[in-house]
Amino acid sequence: MIALLPPIDRDRRVALLLSGPAGLILLALFALPLGLLFAVSLQAPPGTPPGPSLAAYERLLTTPHHLGAVWNSVKLSLAVTVLTLLVGYPASFAIARAKGRWRSLMLGCLFLPLSASVIVKAFAWTILLRSSGIVNTVLLGLGIVDAPVRMIFTETALIVGAVNVFLPFMILPVYAVVAQLDPRLSEAAATLGANPAAGFLKVTLPVTMPGIVAGVALVSALSVSAYVVPTLLIGERYPTLASTIAKAYLLTREPAFGAAAGVVLLVIAVAIVVLSSRLAREGRA
Amino acid sequence: MRPDDLSRRTLLTAGGALAASLAMPSILRAQTKEIVVGGPAGAAKYFNEAVFPAINKSLGVTILYEGSNSLTNLQKMQADRGAPKFSVVIMDDPVMIKAADEGLIVPITAKGSPNLDRLVAGAVHRDGMWANYQRPWAGIAFNSKTPAPASWADLWVPANKGRVIVPSIQNTEGFWNLLVAAHLETGKPFAEAQYDIDAGFKKLKSLVPSLLNVYTNAPQAMNLLEQGEASMIGGQFSAYTLTRKAEGAPVDLAVPKEGGFAMPSGIAKVKGGPAPDLADAVIDAFLGPAVQEILVEKAVVAPTNTATPRPAGFPDPATLFAPDWAFVARERGKWAERWTTELL
Repeated sequence: MIALLPPIDRDRRVALLLSGPAGLILLALFALPLGLLFAVSLQAPPGTPPGPSLAAYERLLTTPHHLGAVWNSVKLSLAVTVLTLLVGYPASFAIARAKGRWRSLMLGCLFLPLSASVIVKAFAWTILLRSSGIVNTVLLGLGIVDAPVRMIFTETALIVGAVNVFLPFMILPVYAVVAQLDPRLSEAAATLGANPAAGFLKVTLPVTMPGIVAGVALVSALSVSAYVVPTLLIGERYPTLASTIAKAYLLTREPAFGAAAGVVLLVIAVAIVVLSSRLAREGRA
Repeated sequence: MRPDDLSRRTLLTAGGALAASLAMPSILRAQTKEIVVGGPAGAAKYFNEAVFPAINKSLGVTILYEGSNSLTNLQKMQADRGAPKFSVVIMDDPVMIKAADEGLIVPITAKGSPNLDRLVAGAVHRDGMWANYQRPWAGIAFNSKTPAPASWADLWVPANKGRVIVPSIQNTEGFWNLLVAAHLETGKPFAEAQYDIDAGFKKLKSLVPSLLNVYTNAPQAMNLLEQGEASMIGGQFSAYTLTRKAEGAPVDLAVPKEGGFAMPSGIAKVKGGPAPDLADAVIDAFLGPAVQEILVEKAVVAPTNTATPRPAGFPDPATLFAPDWAFVARERGKWAERWTTELL
């Protein structure tokens, strides 16, 4: 039957058939729960007439404290994404240009820490940054400070720790693109009269843009929803959307409020991904 | 689930429990005498190593333990209310109150669990809806290289600025500092001060500049205390601090002159859970002297069965203040909101 159809239709049908199982799984495990989440977020608060209500969203987005949690999540995501990109982009080139043993060593340095749990890394940062930790010892030894600086449970510690945890997720997609990059492209640009800066902006950057977009999407989505890293590195004093969700479901038992925070988190994550890919498209055009 | 709860053992146990409940019909499970018990992840180590083997030896029951925190277990029980996976659940009293209110647990009877009648006063709640199988005591945990705090007011002493840790109000032990603050502010005894939460918040606010951190994750806080980064944790309790001391960590637990508190550790039977007879037997074992002697040693807690000897140095459970948990359970959501908006 399929064989008798014109080639384009046949391709389409085959594609549809092949994507069927994955589509069903996504529908059952992703679309359906998301729909439920959205439905729960619209539940009226107890003691008010039943029916759809935006009360949970109103509370989340108008109370200064909860709005602060939304902003903290966005701020953390922005800071971590920008810093991982600044550190990760040149690092990807270093790995791609390295040869043989050096490249293996660099990739090892990138992959090995991924096998350590994020909890271990968060604890390690607490040890490094505490008043008798190595960072304070070095600062004191060099005479930069006179007394140990309080670093643990500060926003700086959180960002440093989060950059450390999420850096591989920026480097890997960028590296994957850079490794495919023909080094002769920038030589060709130079031959045609472009200075190094112009060569980079007009040739290298646009060509590596898909890697950057993938890295930005991954890191920003991971860091905007981070729960363990902020919990361990800064604690309750820095409420985030993720901690708001946990508290609403577990402590105050307000599923509508937790679900609304979940929907807002999802909207932010999707917005970041859509925006970054649109920016990339415009950058290439 | 708190991040520290995800030990490999917990995951294996949870995975095993899940596999068992998916793969085996309940009849087969009853024949193999196997039940699932939900409880605190922090207890998984000594439950699995000492308590469960003892129960297995006396009753022939294999216990699959799912360790998490009380609030997470409550959420799970609510989610599988139609076909419960747990037969027995171990949680703190304020969470038990919610489980009872939501109809998730059924009373324990002296017929099924005879040890219910042999417990100290105040250990059986709501006509047997749940019972306390142990009483850890709470005070101030301190680094043993520094002098022991004599009063709860020591938390406010300027010398300790930046070196004090307190638990979040999200944790059961988070209530103690609020209660102590109300007592110090008003001068009323604990029994009256516990209802004067406004005074508690006012006094606690003056502690904020001294705080190194507010924890939800106890192992991290304990680690900072052991390393000397923190000097005191207000409201910490024996089952956590003194077990670390027993392992050689330089920490100890002081019961200040104003008094210490009784941490509530409850055990209950899950409504409609698999193998109800085995659930009765396991609960009876937890309330009996044999298991409680193990807990006294391994978890450093006061026993609740009158036949269990209380070791020297353990405070008399009668001197420990136990608050109105029903009031705490009802108000905690509001306090959590005030805690983050007013204090942090």
